[in-house]
Amino acid sequence: MATTKRSLIKTCTAALCLPVLIACAPQSEQEATLGVLYCAEGNPESFNPQLVTSGTTLDMTAAQLYDRLIEYSHKENNYQPALAERWSIDEHGLRYTFYLRDDVQFHTTDWFQPSRPLNANDVVFSFRRWFDPSHPFHSVSGRGYPFFTASGITELIDSMKALDEHTVEIRLKQQDSSFLANLASDFAIILSAEYGHQLLAAGTPELIDQRPIGTGPFQFSDFRKDVLVRYHRHPNYWRELAASEQIVFRITQSDHKRMLMLLTQDCDISPYPPARDVEWLRQKESIELQATVSPNTAFWAFNTERPPFDDPRVRQALAHAIDRDALLRAVYFEHAVRADSILPNTSWAHHPIPDAYRFDPERARELLAEADLADGFSMDIWAIPVQRGYNPNARLMAERMQSDLARIGVRANIVSYEWSTFRRRLAEGLHDSVLIGWSADHADPDNFFRPLLSCRAKESGNNRAQWCDPLFDDLLNAAIRTELMPTRQNFYQQAQEYLAIEVPLLPIAHSVRFQASQADIEGLQLAPFGGIELRRVKHRDTQELRP
Amino acid sequence: MTRYLLRQITLLFFTLLALSLFTFCLSYWFAGSAVTNSSGIFPDDPSYATIATARGFDGGYFGQYIAYLRHLFAGDWGRSLLDGAPVFEQLIVRFGASLEIMLLALLVAWFPGVAFGVLAALKPGRSVDNTILGMSISGYSIPVFWFAQLAILLVAVQWGLTPIAGQINPLFDIPAVTGSILIDIALAQPANPQAAYYSAFMHMILPVTVLAIMPMMLLIRLTRNSMLDVLNKNYIVSSYAKGMSTRRVLWSHALPNAMQQVIRQLSNLISLLIANTFILEVIFSWPGIGNWLVRSIYERDYPVIQGGLLIIGSLILVTHVLLNLFHAWRYPQVRKDLYAAP
Repeated sequence: MATTKRSLIKTCTAALCLPVLIACAPQSEQEATLGVLYCAEGNPESFNPQLVTSGTTLDMTAAQLYDRLIEYSHKENNYQPALAERWSIDEHGLRYTFYLRDDVQFHTTDWFQPSRPLNANDVVFSFRRWFDPSHPFHSVSGRGYPFFTASGITELIDSMKALDEHTVEIRLKQQDSSFLANLASDFAIILSAEYGHQLLAAGTPELIDQRPIGTGPFQFSDFRKDVLVRYHRHPNYWRELAASEQIVFRITQSDHKRMLMLLTQDCDISPYPPARDVEWLRQKESIELQATVSPNTAFWAFNTERPPFDDPRVRQALAHAIDRDALLRAVYFEHAVRADSILPNTSWAHHPIPDAYRFDPERARELLAEADLADGFSMDIWAIPVQRGYNPNARLMAERMQSDLARIGVRANIVSYEWSTFRRRLAEGLHDSVLIGWSADHADPDNFFRPLLSCRAKESGNNRAQWCDPLFDDLLNAAIRTELMPTRQNFYQQAQEYLAIEVPLLPIAHSVRFQASQADIEGLQLAPFGGIELRRVKHRDTQELRP
Repeated sequence: MTRYLLRQITLLFFTLLALSLFTFCLSYWFAGSAVTNSSGIFPDDPSYATIATARGFDGGYFGQYIAYLRHLFAGDWGRSLLDGAPVFEQLIVRFGASLEIMLLALLVAWFPGVAFGVLAALKPGRSVDNTILGMSISGYSIPVFWFAQLAILLVAVQWGLTPIAGQINPLFDIPAVTGSILIDIALAQPANPQAAYYSAFMHMILPVTVLAIMPMMLLIRLTRNSMLDVLNKNYIVSSYAKGMSTRRVLWSHALPNAMQQVIRQLSNLISLLIANTFILEVIFSWPGIGNWLVRSIYERDYPVIQGGLLIIGSLILVTHVLLNLFHAWRYPQVRKDLYAAP
C-alpha cells in the first residue's frame, strides 16, 4: 500500500497528486517543523527595539531576539540580573558598575558566525550607538532613538567604558531615579559589536537592524512583509532553551480575522481580540483568554504647533466636547476605566483631575467663543490603524468623537494610514490631532511623562502633542533628581495639575489588555510592562502539525 | 494565419506601448517629485541626483520615457516608498501567487461549467435545464466576498475543515521563490513534502473554490447558449440523419463548434476573474498582487501602483491576444471571416 502511494506521487505532477494527498494525509507523523504561531497585528518597523517605541515591534523583537543587562520582575517588584549577573551603584547615584556573565553566546546564522561570547565591548557598543553621535552606527537607519532621546538618558550619560572584559562602568551627569528602570526596559538591548564591525567592513551597516544578531532565545530566520516573521530557537542560549523550535508571527491587521484564525487554529496566540467578542471568547473551551491590567493610557493628543490647537482654550473646549463614558461603553465594552490623568490609576503618583476633562458641551461652546471660533472649524483626527492594549478600535472611537464634536460645530475628518507610515508621518508632525496611547515600559511614573510630553520627546518625534513647555520640563526634571517618594509624588501631582490646565492631550481610558490563545498553549504570560515574552511558550501535548 | 498573427502582435505591441506611456505619465500626475514617484528614491537620499540623471530627468520628456522603458526592461521598477523594497522582486513573487489561484480556479471552473452547460442545452426548457440555469443565475448574482465570508464561517469556523489564511501553514519553512506555493514546495524540497503539499492544498480549497464559482456559472450559461445555437444547425440534423449516435454528434460536431463562441467570451471572463482574485486575496490573506496593490493605493505608494497597474494591464492584454490567436488558429472559419474571404 505504502509503495503504491509513493509511486503514485512520483508519477503525478504536483497539481494532479493533490487528491491522492488528501487520502494519505499525515495523521500522527512526528513533524520536523513544530512551533507556535503568533498572529501579530502589524509589520515590525525594524528588528532593533532601540529605534522604535511601538508595542507591535517590541513584542516581536525585544524579548525574542535580545537580552538586556537587567530585567524588572513585576512579581517580586525588583530588578533581576540578566546579562549582568550583578551591579553596584555608588552612594551618590552617579556611578553604575555592571558585572557581565561570561557564558552568553550570540546567534550563529548564515550571515554571521560569532568568534567569541558576549563581553563588555558589546555592551559599550550597543549603548554608545544611541547616546554617542560619533558612533559609526549612530545615524544608520536614520530613525533616531525615540525612547532614549525622549526619556533624556542620552543627555544623562556622562561616560561609559569597559573596565575589563566583563565589567562595564556608566557615569551619569546627575542622579536619575528612573535610570535602572530605563535600563530594564525593552529598549536597552545588547547588540554584537563583532557583527557591527563585520557589517562596517562589508559596507552594509544598515543590515544590523534588518538581519539582526542578538543573544536572545530565538534567532532571526525570515521576514516577508505583510505575511510573516520567522524565528528559530537559539541553540546556545545562556538560559533555559526556548520551549518551541520555531516561532512564526503571522501578520494579520484585522482583529476580527485574528479571532477567526484562532478558532480555525491558524493562530496559536492572538493579541487584542475584538472587545465586543471578549465575553464570547471567555465561554469557549478551546480558547484561553488572558487579561492583564497593564498600566496604559489612551489619549487624544492635539498638535499644539498648529493653529487653532496652539490656543489652550481650544484644547480645553475639545476636551469638554467628548463624552468619554460613552466611548468606554462603545469602544471598550466596559473593559476599561475612564482616565482623568495621563498617569494610569495603578501608579503611586496617580492624581486624577476629573473636572478638567468632564463632558460639558455648553462649556466647550463658551470656550470656543472666547477663542473667536464660535462658528467652529474643521480638523483631522488621526486614528491608529492597529489595535493596541490601550485602544482596541481607534477608528470606531474617532467616529463616535466625530458626532460629539459636531455638536459644538467642529467638523472632524478621520485619517488613517498603514501602521509604519502612520508612525512616520506622526513623528513628522503632519497631524492635527491623533488618537493614540502609551503602555508602560516600566513601573516608574516618569515613563508616562518624559517620553511623551517633554521637549526632548518633541525633538525625537515621540511627543504626539508637539508640546514643549520649559515649566513642565522643570517639574519632571525635579521629580527625577530625588529618590524621596513624597517629594517625587508632590512634583508629579503638580505636573498633572499643569496638564489639566494646558490640555496638550485628553486622557481617555486605562484599559485591560486581552490576549487569547489555544487552550493547549502553555508558558504564556502577559506581563504588565513591556513586550511579550515567548521563550517558555509551547504546545502542551505532542503537537500534530495542522494543515 | 501569418497575417493575422502579425496583426495581433503589432496590436499587442502598440497597446503595451500605450500602457507603458500611461504608467510613465502617472509619475507626473501623482503628487510629488516625478523622480521619486518613478524610482521610489526620496529627494533627501544621497543617490537622488544619480538616479535622476539615470532616468533622463536632465533631458526632455522623450528621453525620460526611453530611460523609463530601459529601466523597465532591466527589471528596475523602482522601490516602494514605504519600505524601500524593490518593486520588481516583490511583484514577481506576488504575481506568482495570484496567477496560481487564478489558473487553478479557471481549471476548477472549466470542466463542471462546460459539462453542466451541455447538460442544460440537451434538454432545453426541461427541469434539468431550469435547475442548472437557476443555480447559475443565483450563483452568478451572489457577490464573491459574501460567498467567501459564508464559506469561512461555515466550512472553516463551524465545521473546522480548512484553514482560512495564507498559502500554507507557516511552520513549514518554504521560501517564496516563484510565489506559487506548489512550485515553491517542489523547489524547497522540504523533509516532508507530502505534508507540505497537503497543507498547501487545504489552504487552497476555500479561495480556489469560491473564486471558481463565478466563472463556472458564466461558463454554464455561455456553453448552454452556444450549444443551443449549434444544435439547431443543419449539419447537426444531417449528422443525426446519417445515423450517428448522440454521443458522436456531441463530441465531434456540437461541442467543438460550441466552444468557438465560448472561447471568444473567455477574455471577458478572465478580466472578471482577475478582479475577483484581488478581493479574495484580501479576505484569505493570500500574499498576491491584489492584496498588495489595494494597500499601496491606500498608502499612495506610487512606484507600487505603477508596477501593479502595468503588470495587470499587460496580463489582461496578453491573455486577450493569446486567446484571439488560439481562436483563429483552432477555427479556420474565424480566419476566413477576418480576411473577409469568400
